[in-house]
Amino acid sequence: MWRRSLSAGYARAACRAAGAKRFWDLLTVRTCSAPALPAGRITALQAVDVWRRHYEERGVSEPEHSSSYIIAHLLGAKTIESLDRGSLTEFLTRDKLEQVWRLCSRRLTRMPVQYVIEEWDFRDLTLMMRPPVFIPRPETEELVELVLTDMKKQPDTQSTCLEVGCGSGAISLSLLMALPQLKAVALDQSQAAVDLTMENALRLGLQDRLQVYHVDVIKDAETALRLCESVSVLVSNPPYLFTEDMASLEPEVLRFEDRSALDGGKDGLNVIRQILTLAPQILSNHGRVYLEVDPRHPPLIQAWVEARVDGLHYVETRHDITGRPRFCTLQKDTQVKSHRDRLGLRN
Amino acid sequence: MASRRGVNFLSRGHKSVFNLWKPCFQKSPNVISLPIRTHYPRERRTFHSGTPLMVAKLLSVEELFAKRSLQEYLKKIETEYSECLRDINSSAVDERCVEENLRTKRTKMSMLTPLIKTMQELDTKLRESQETEILLKDEDPALRELAEVEREGCLLDIQNLRQKILDLLIPEEEADLNDLVLEVTAGIGGQEAMLFTAEVLDMYQGFAQHHGWSFDILEHMTSDIGGLRHASASISGHECYKRMRVEAGVHRVQRIPKTEKQGRMHTSTMTVAVLPQPTEISFTINPKDLRIDTKRASGAGGQHVNTTDSAVRIVHLPTGVVAECQQERSQLKNREKAMKALRAKLYSMRLEEVTSKRYNQRKIQIGTKGRSEKIRTYNFAQDRITDHRIGMTLHDVKNFLLGEDLLDEMNSLLQEFSSQETLMELLGESNQESV
Repeated sequence: MWRRSLSAGYARAACRAAGAKRFWDLLTVRTCSAPALPAGRITALQAVDVWRRHYEERGVSEPEHSSSYIIAHLLGAKTIESLDRGSLTEFLTRDKLEQVWRLCSRRLTRMPVQYVIEEWDFRDLTLMMRPPVFIPRPETEELVELVLTDMKKQPDTQSTCLEVGCGSGAISLSLLMALPQLKAVALDQSQAAVDLTMENALRLGLQDRLQVYHVDVIKDAETALRLCESVSVLVSNPPYLFTEDMASLEPEVLRFEDRSALDGGKDGLNVIRQILTLAPQILSNHGRVYLEVDPRHPPLIQAWVEARVDGLHYVETRHDITGRPRFCTLQKDTQVKSHRDRLGLRN
Repeated sequence: MASRRGVNFLSRGHKSVFNLWKPCFQKSPNVISLPIRTHYPRERRTFHSGTPLMVAKLLSVEELFAKRSLQEYLKKIETEYSECLRDINSSAVDERCVEENLRTKRTKMSMLTPLIKTMQELDTKLRESQETEILLKDEDPALRELAEVEREGCLLDIQNLRQKILDLLIPEEEADLNDLVLEVTAGIGGQEAMLFTAEVLDMYQGFAQHHGWSFDILEHMTSDIGGLRHASASISGHECYKRMRVEAGVHRVQRIPKTEKQGRMHTSTMTVAVLPQPTEISFTINPKDLRIDTKRASGAGGQHVNTTDSAVRIVHLPTGVVAECQQERSQLKNREKAMKALRAKLYSMRLEEVTSKRYNQRKIQIGTKGRSEKIRTYNFAQDRITDHRIGMTLHDVKNFLLGEDLLDEMNSLLQEFSSQETLMELLGESNQESV
């Protein structure tokens, strides 16, 4: 805390000193161009307005939301709407005002709001967020819904689920929260993600039913197979972007989020193929795989699995609320042979 | 006037014994001490422009029981019951009685049983009280004293039983047991109306807290200076719909707004709507009839985009009814809440079709039909709140807006009027039938 405010002080002093030289002057316009800290007193609502306009001028995306979420967070609430009028129309203390300026300035670098306030909501949970760990998207809330609906249909007393690429832990922790009998194993190739998942689990009191491992399923399939066997559900929101699409991403995503949590290779299927190859050895009988994918993927995945993977069949494609084919469900067969025969007939 | 008020409050006290709603009973002495006036002795201005003040009359339980129509109605029920009983018992010999007919009679009987039983209890108590009357004239003072105590207990029982009969006579509404969605919308008066709307929402939040109901904001659209254009909240808890439905209508505020520079008094309005929240089973919506709009609808979605705008808007295509929610940071939560608001809107539309005819004649409108009626005025200069439907005035606006005892006080009286109106309707109908 101390160190942070000190360094912020240095930064301001440095800017002022550099103001004399022309060259530095230009540079500071680009790096330190937060609106001047107001000399007088302003209310929270006025601060929201100042920063909204400033974001608009600087072309920062979602100016209104960014400004109000950050300021609401500093006032101890999730949204501006949930604050009472009193605290919105009161003057901010000097201390609060400086905090507002410090956090809002971070957003000028296009840092996602979720990283600026270091938390975000996913379904019923509030999770800590930290760069570069992937920020869960709303589509994944629907993936969890899909898995939960299926799992609640078959009340298996002692089931285990495996998540590949857990990021902040959103999927596993939501499942554990909703199903008190469930146990989960979560893997991620990034140490930062493993740490964050564990921290979130501790905060929610779910650590006893969750094991998190730092494993890369592509490089180290052996370890992955050793760590988990006969799980009833394998769920994943793997990196599924096509490499060629990476360049067109917004700066919030491209600059701040872990590239390896997004880039799925040339056709976006690198990690997906690996998961599906390992799935028959990891799943118990009739165990299922649930994947979030790119809308172009479902037919490709179905064709590939039918041609290449024994003992796994494609169940269905589900759409997200915007109507895009987004989720694939697959299931392990028990009669591996008959599946092969069917393929043989078709060929 | 004052004495009748006294009786009313007393009768409410007894009623509360049945409702197990003790706080009211304990508080009733305080309530009486409140300055209650229906008219100002010298009114400086006419505040009740347009609709004339409707001074409704709230009858006590005794007064109601003294009514011939009520006695006749009860007698009629008794006859009906004994007829049913006779028919059922004689059905073994009587072959004309069809099985179908019998079944309806049995259902009718089981519905009437609690009422008949209470009526019989009342008869017994009345007889008992007559017997104690005789003892009161006894020569032995100790015996007289005993009889006095007995009689008091008897009278209390009679009062309670009569109240119970009245309660049993009033049919339960389909929506009475439901949870509800409260909608507040600013009316005429610009920013000032929006500020008042925010205060009213706070008041009902306080009211919900006072009753131990849950209160969950669904939609919330603010104005620039901290006012509220429109908001909706889902409320659930014991008897919440029954109590909140009498709050629906136009609420008017008269005061010098904070935004007013020249010190002039303004009159502004806001509207409260109370929509019963249907249960999953009682009301279903076809998912195919819905269009869901989000910020993520354009562009690629998924991992491509990181958005904080998690607002959800749902359109019910056949009716064009829309619900929106941006209250939560989770999009799924917003969708759930918008869906809740939408269901309530659609359900109340259906309910309105069914019931609008029945309620058209009543002063205390319920549900959404009452929206256009001005029901209450909050006058800050005179520090009073007047409910125009029953001509009741309370003082201390600031306290009233807390949504605690004062609002509760007015709300309870409205409940009683509403029940009485239902009862009168019932008696009127039965009279017409018998003619």
